[in-house]
Amino acid sequence: MTATEPRMGEGLLDRTRLVLDEALVAYRGGRYESRLHTVRERLSAPLRVAIAGRVKAGKSTLLNALIGERLAPTDAGECTRIVTWYQDGTTYRVTLRPREGAPRQARFAREEGALEIDLGGLSHEEVADLLVEWPSQTLRTATLVDTPGVGSLRAENSRRTWDLLAPDDEDTPADAVIYLMRHAHRDDLNFLQAFHDRQVSAPNPVNAIGVLSRADEIGGGRLDTLASATRIAARMAADVNVRRLVQTVVPIAGLLAETAVTLTEAEVAHLRRVADLPARTADDLLLSADRFRERLPELGLTSIERDALLARFGLFGVRLAAALLRRKVAGTATELSEQLTERSGLRALQRTLDSLFFERREILKSRSALLAVDSVIRADPAPAIPRVAGAVEEIIASAHPFNELRVLASLRAGWVTGKPAVVAELERVIGGEGTAAHLRLQLPAEASRAELVAAASESLARWQRRAENPLTRYELSVAARVAVRSCEGVLAELHRGRR
Amino acid sequence: MTTAPADAAQAAATPPGSLLALGIRACTAYGREDLARRLAAAQRALNDPSIHVVIAGEFKQGKSSLVNALVGATVCPVDDDVATATPTYVRHGEKHRAALILDGDPPRREDVPVDQVRRYVTERRGAPAGAGPGPEIPVGVEVRLPRKILERGMVLVDTPGVGGLGSTHAAASLAAISMADAVIFVTSAAQELTASEVQFLRKARAACDTVICLISKTDFYPAWRRIRELNEAHLRRAELALPVLTASSALRMHAVKAGDREINAESGFAEVVEFVSGRVGGGVEQRLAEHVRDEVLAVCDQLTATFAAERAALLDPAAARRIVAELERTRQRVESLKTSMARWQQTLNDGIADLTSDIDHDLRSRMREVTREADDSIDESDPADTWAEMQTWLRARIAHELVANYELLRVRAGELSENVGEHFRAGSDGVLGQLTVHSPEPVLERTRLEHKIDLEKMKLRKQAMVALKSAYGGTLMFTMLASMAGIVLGPIGLGIGLVMGRKGLREEKQRQEKARQQQARNAMRRYCDEVTFVVGKDSRDTLRRIHRRLRDHYTGLAEELARSNAAALAGAEKAARRGRTERESRVRDLDAELGRLATLQSRARPS
Repeated sequence: MTATEPRMGEGLLDRTRLVLDEALVAYRGGRYESRLHTVRERLSAPLRVAIAGRVKAGKSTLLNALIGERLAPTDAGECTRIVTWYQDGTTYRVTLRPREGAPRQARFAREEGALEIDLGGLSHEEVADLLVEWPSQTLRTATLVDTPGVGSLRAENSRRTWDLLAPDDEDTPADAVIYLMRHAHRDDLNFLQAFHDRQVSAPNPVNAIGVLSRADEIGGGRLDTLASATRIAARMAADVNVRRLVQTVVPIAGLLAETAVTLTEAEVAHLRRVADLPARTADDLLLSADRFRERLPELGLTSIERDALLARFGLFGVRLAAALLRRKVAGTATELSEQLTERSGLRALQRTLDSLFFERREILKSRSALLAVDSVIRADPAPAIPRVAGAVEEIIASAHPFNELRVLASLRAGWVTGKPAVVAELERVIGGEGTAAHLRLQLPAEASRAELVAAASESLARWQRRAENPLTRYELSVAARVAVRSCEGVLAELHRGRR
Repeated sequence: MTTAPADAAQAAATPPGSLLALGIRACTAYGREDLARRLAAAQRALNDPSIHVVIAGEFKQGKSSLVNALVGATVCPVDDDVATATPTYVRHGEKHRAALILDGDPPRREDVPVDQVRRYVTERRGAPAGAGPGPEIPVGVEVRLPRKILERGMVLVDTPGVGGLGSTHAAASLAAISMADAVIFVTSAAQELTASEVQFLRKARAACDTVICLISKTDFYPAWRRIRELNEAHLRRAELALPVLTASSALRMHAVKAGDREINAESGFAEVVEFVSGRVGGGVEQRLAEHVRDEVLAVCDQLTATFAAERAALLDPAAARRIVAELERTRQRVESLKTSMARWQQTLNDGIADLTSDIDHDLRSRMREVTREADDSIDESDPADTWAEMQTWLRARIAHELVANYELLRVRAGELSENVGEHFRAGSDGVLGQLTVHSPEPVLERTRLEHKIDLEKMKLRKQAMVALKSAYGGTLMFTMLASMAGIVLGPIGLGIGLVMGRKGLREEKQRQEKARQQQARNAMRRYCDEVTFVVGKDSRDTLRRIHRRLRDHYTGLAEELARSNAAALAGAEKAARRGRTERESRVRDLDAELGRLATLQSRARPS
C-alpha cells in the first residue's frame, strides 16, 4: 500500500488543496471566503519564513545576509519598527498596508544600500505592514519576514509586538520561523522571551530553528570566538527547554555574514593595508575600535574609510579578515568573501535551512494551511458541513508526514522515552535531521542506492521488532509503528527511483 | 587644662583612630573595662569598615571582568559561556587566598586553593535548570588579595547576572543592593538600555543612594559614544539622575600586564577607581568618623557624670547624704532596668511575638496570592507547552514576594528597635543627670546637660541599628535563595502525549490536557507549601536572632549605667567620710580628670 502512496509531501499538498476547495464551497459568500482564498494561493507560493526574536538580536542583519543584499536598514539603535515582508518579484516595488484604508504603493530610495521607505505621511503606528518585492534568487525559495522584536524600551515598538502576540485569528502568517537569540542564561527569562515573539508563529520543534546571533561578540573579539559560539549553540540545542521549542540551534555572526556576501574590492584593498602591517603593529592598532579609528596616520586610510570598515566588519571582522589576508588563507576578494561566509556560520545556517525547512516545504505549507482552515471552522462552525471538519482532521491525523512531525514533537517534549541510542535513531529515521534517505539512515550523502536499500531494510526490520515487542512501552511502540512507515516510505521511493 | 582656642584647632585635626585610643586609655585608667570594650568595638568597625560595592547587571555584560580589571588580577573567573552563579566578595588580605562561605549562623568559612575558585563560582555544566543543589553549595566565595584599592575595607561584590527584572536573581540582587554602600550597574556598549534594565536601575536607586551606570566593552563596540548618548537620554526620560561612566576592562587588563599608562588612560578606569575609592570610600570613612565621635562622647558623658557626682558630694558635705540617697534610688531603677520586668523588656518580648505572627501572616497571604495566580495561568494553558516557563516564572515570582516579606521584616524590626530604645531611654532617663539637678552648685550648665541627654538618645538608636543589621545582614539575601534552590519543583508527568488514529484525536488531547493541568496544580501547591515552611522557619529564626541581639544590646547598656552609677555612689559615699584637706586635694584631682575629659569631649565634638 505504501508503494502506491506518492512521494512524501507531494500528495499532501494536493489533499490539502481539495480540503480547501471544499471549505471554499462551504464558506462561499461569507466573511471568511477571501481569507480561505489567500490560504489556498499560498500553497503555490514560496515557503514563508519569518525572522523573530528580541530587539537588537540582529534580525535585519541576518535577513540581509540571507538575501545577499543590504535591503533592511540596520543601525546601532533599535531600527525595525514595522513588520516587513520581502518577496520575490519581477520589479522593485514596495507596498504599504495601512491599518485603515486600502494598500498603496510607497516611494522608496536606497541609502548606502539599505532601503529607505517613505511612509507617505503615516506614522509607524498607522502602518500594518510593508511588502517589499525584489527580484532575488533567495526570495524565489522563500519569502522572508522581518519583525520588530520584543523587549524594546521604546514603548510603542513593544506594544506593537504584544498586540500581535495574541492575534484575533490563529492564522499564522509564516510557515516556519527562525528565532534569533543572543547568548543568554538558561534561567534567563529574556532567553525564553525570544520565543514569546509569536506574532508570526508559535514555536514548535517542527517548524522553528534557533540561531545564536551576534556570535562574533561572545568572546570579546578573540579570533577563536566562533569556535566558542559553536560550543555554546550546541549546549543550547541540547537544553530540554530549547529542544521543545526549536529543532536545533546554529551560531551566526550576522554582521560578518552580511558583509561577506556583499564584500567589495575597495574594502579588500583597505583591509590589505592593515594586513600588510607587521603583526605586532596590527595587534596594537586593533586593540580597540577607538585605536583603529585614530592611530597610525601613515596607514593611508582616511577616518571615513576606517569608520566604514568598522561599521561593515565590526572590530572582530577587521581582525579576522586582516589575519586571513596576512596568513595568505585568502588572496582575492572572492576567496576572502568565501572564507568569511563560511566562518560567519552563514553556510551552515543555509544548509540547516535547506534540510529542515525547504526540503519539507510541502508539509510545512500544508500544515499552516490546515491550521488556518481549522481556525476558520472553529471561529464560524455554522456553515461548515461536518465533512470539511472531518476532512481536515483526517489529514492531520492520518497523513504520514504529520505523524512523523507529531512523533518528532513528542520526542522533543520528552514524552517518548527509551534508551538514548534508540531515541536518537528514532529521531533520525522519522526525518528529524532532514527528510533525505541518507540523513534518515545516517549514511554519507554519496552512499550508493544498494547501500541505502540495505540500510533501509535493516532499519525496517529493527523497527518492526520494536513495534511488536510486548515489552516496548506504549508510547515507544506507537512511535515505532510510525518509524516502520517511514522506512517503508524510503524503500518505496528507492524502488520508484529505479523504475 | 589646655586653653580653648588650642582645643578648637586640635579638634579638626584629631583623627578618629587616635580619638578612640585616647578614649580607651581613659576608660582603662578609670577601671571601666566595659566602656573600653564599647570603644574597642567601634575601633574594630573603623579598622575593618567593610564597604560593600555591589556590581550588578544583566547576564554577560562583563561584571566579573570589571572586578578583575579593578584589582588588576583574574580573581573572578570569566568564561565565554558559563556564568557566575555565586556572589564573590573580593576584599583586602595580606596574600591572595580564597575561602568558601557556607550557610550557617554565623556563616562558616572554609579555605580553598585560589585556583579552585572557578569550580565554586561558575555554574556547573549540564546541571538542569532549577535542579536541587549538591550537598555543599557555598552561599558565597571570599577572595582576599593585597591591593591598594581594597585596603580601606573595600569589598567588591561580583553578583550573578539578574536576567530580567522578573527573575529570581533580580530579587537577590535588589536585596543585596539594599545593604550595599554603592552599586555599579554594568551594561555593555553592544546595545542601549533595555526596558527591564531601566526598571532594575529604578529599583536599585530606590534601595541605595549611590548608584552609577557603567557602559562596558567600549574597546569592542565602535558605536559606544552613540550608546552612551542613547542611555543618557533613556535615564533622563526615566528621571534617573545617575552618573554614566564608560570603561573597557579588556584595555585595562592589557595595560596592567604591559604596564602601559597610555592604554590605561584609554580604558577609562581612572574614573571608575575614583568613584570606588574616592566617592564611595570617602563617604563611608566620613560616616565612620562620625560614629566614632558619638561613641567617644557617650563614654565621656558617663565618666563625667560619675566624677561630677563625687565632686558635688565633696564640695557640699551637707548635700552628700542627699546625693547618696539619690544615687541609691537610681541604683534600684537601674537594677530594675536589667530585670525582665523592665518596660523595654516587655516591649521587646511582646513586639517580637507580634512581629513573628505578622510576618508569618504576611508570608502566607502572599503565597496564597501566588498560588491563585498560578492556578489561573495553569487553567489557561497546557502545561505540556508552558511548564518550563511556568517554573521559571513561579520561582521568580516567589522570590519577589519573599523579598517583599523580608523588607517588611526589616522595616518592622527597625520600628520595634526604635520603640524598645524609646522605652529604655524613658526608664533610664536622667539616671545620671538627676544628681546634678539637685546639686546645690551645678558643675555643668543646664543647657549642656540637655545636650547630653539628646546625644544619649541618638546614640542608643544608632547602636541598636548596628546590632540589628548584623542580625539579618550576614551573607545578604543570597542565603535565602540558596535555601530556596534546595526545594525542587517536581516535574509533572506529561502522560501519554502521543496519540495516533483518526477519531477522537481532539477529545483525547483535551482529556490529557486536563490531567496535566491537575498534575501541574498539585506540583505547584506542594512547592508553595514547602517554600512557606522553609522560609517561615527562616524568618522565625531571624526574629529570634534579632530578639537576642536587641536584648543583649540593651542589657549591656543597663550594665554600663549600673557600673557608672555604682562608681558614682562609691565616690559619693567615700566623699562623706573624707577629712577636709583630703577633700580639697580630691576635688583638685577630680577637676583635673574632668578637665581631661572635657578636652577629649571637645576634640570629639564636631567643630
